[in-house]
Amino acid sequence: MAGSGQDLALLLTRVARGDQAAFEAVYDQLAGPVYGLARKVLRDPAQSEEIAQEVLLEVWRTASRFDPARGSALAWVMTIAHRRAVDRVRSESATSLREQKVLPGPVTGDDVAELVETALDRQRVRRCLGTLTTVQAEAIKLAYYGGYTYAQTAELLGVALGTVKTRIRDGLIRLRDCMGAGW
Amino acid sequence: MSVQSHELHLLTGSYALDAVTGPELAAFEKHLDRCGPCATEVRGLREAAARLAMATAIAPPQEMRQRVLATAPLTRQLPPPGRNLLPRAGRRRVSPSQAGITGAILALAAAVVFLFAARVTTQHQLDQARASNRAVAAVLAAPDARVESATATVGGTVTAVVSVSQHEAVVSSAGVPVLPATKVYQLWVMSPSGARSAGLLPASHAGTTAPVLASGVRAGDRLGITVEPAGGTAQPTTAAVVVMPVTA
Repeated sequence: MAGSGQDLALLLTRVARGDQAAFEAVYDQLAGPVYGLARKVLRDPAQSEEIAQEVLLEVWRTASRFDPARGSALAWVMTIAHRRAVDRVRSESATSLREQKVLPGPVTGDDVAELVETALDRQRVRRCLGTLTTVQAEAIKLAYYGGYTYAQTAELLGVALGTVKTRIRDGLIRLRDCMGAGW
Repeated sequence: MSVQSHELHLLTGSYALDAVTGPELAAFEKHLDRCGPCATEVRGLREAAARLAMATAIAPPQEMRQRVLATAPLTRQLPPPGRNLLPRAGRRRVSPSQAGITGAILALAAAVVFLFAARVTTQHQLDQARASNRAVAAVLAAPDARVESATATVGGTVTAVVSVSQHEAVVSSAGVPVLPATKVYQLWVMSPSGARSAGLLPASHAGTTAPVLASGVRAGDRLGITVEPAGGTAQPTTAAVVVMPVTA
């Protein structure tokens, strides 16, 4: 992953110059996680596809704004993807769609989409999440995968606002340190 | 560190997960501008969040790839930040192979992207828009794509991107006068053996018309546009408002 992350940054500088082959390579690296993250947050396949398309075209459109000094290319793209997905969730009023999202967790049932080669990523994330306290891990999963605000997360977990803020931060710091080395 | 900024600092994690909203989000972002360590911490935590994202990867629908890759070249890219571009330098940087079609993309992008992003009301319309975008993208991406631009006698500019190897041309217009409902602009492929209709220009949006694809175009042909009765005609009945040669 470390190697492909470097490639990704170089690819983005080419995309910024209008290089379509580079964009194709970026697509092939990131369409899976971008779409997967949208599915995780939104659940609905049609909406997820729409958001994933928007995100990938946003990457094309704004590639010149990617600044390697401010973080990895992967984080840049995934930040765009997550924001778009949660914006969509939050723009929906309390619909039945939203209600189905109360319990976070893996997409199951009719999810026939093929898993791409992320077994290692999954394993590492699972292992690192396993090093957190239950509240830390639950809070992070609700906020990131569930698209909930920290206030909603606090309510869902039945803990105080200040507690959830702290748990999310501490947990994420631990995740960063756990996943940072050798990723 | 004041109590308030200490409280704000605790939000780095929630902020990295996009879990801060409303006035608090604005306050935190303001704080980030002034708090170097906070910004650094947010960056590190965003990297961790990105790993959480990677673990969710699933194969997207097959059609999505083609759709995204076909739409990208028709989408104007932002220039690099932090430089005040002079009007003449307002174009994005392009690789030499692309330079030739940049003008066409600029001329066509608005129309095509409009098509794609338009609030189409039926699946059929959406499918049509997507198919049209793909065909247009194929011409724009052809290695031999050439741009011809000409001023119409009635005013406005007509732009054609021609790929002789693919025998296709994509034609759009900007600033051409709007016609009464009883008239249309009709596109013709004119060869020594006569004129063949390539379809009607659609109604203009914001002064530009969405691209029309002309097939069976060969070197030596000419592309012409005439004003015809609504619905179009089998053969041109008026003098062309614009004629563009197709060169190899």
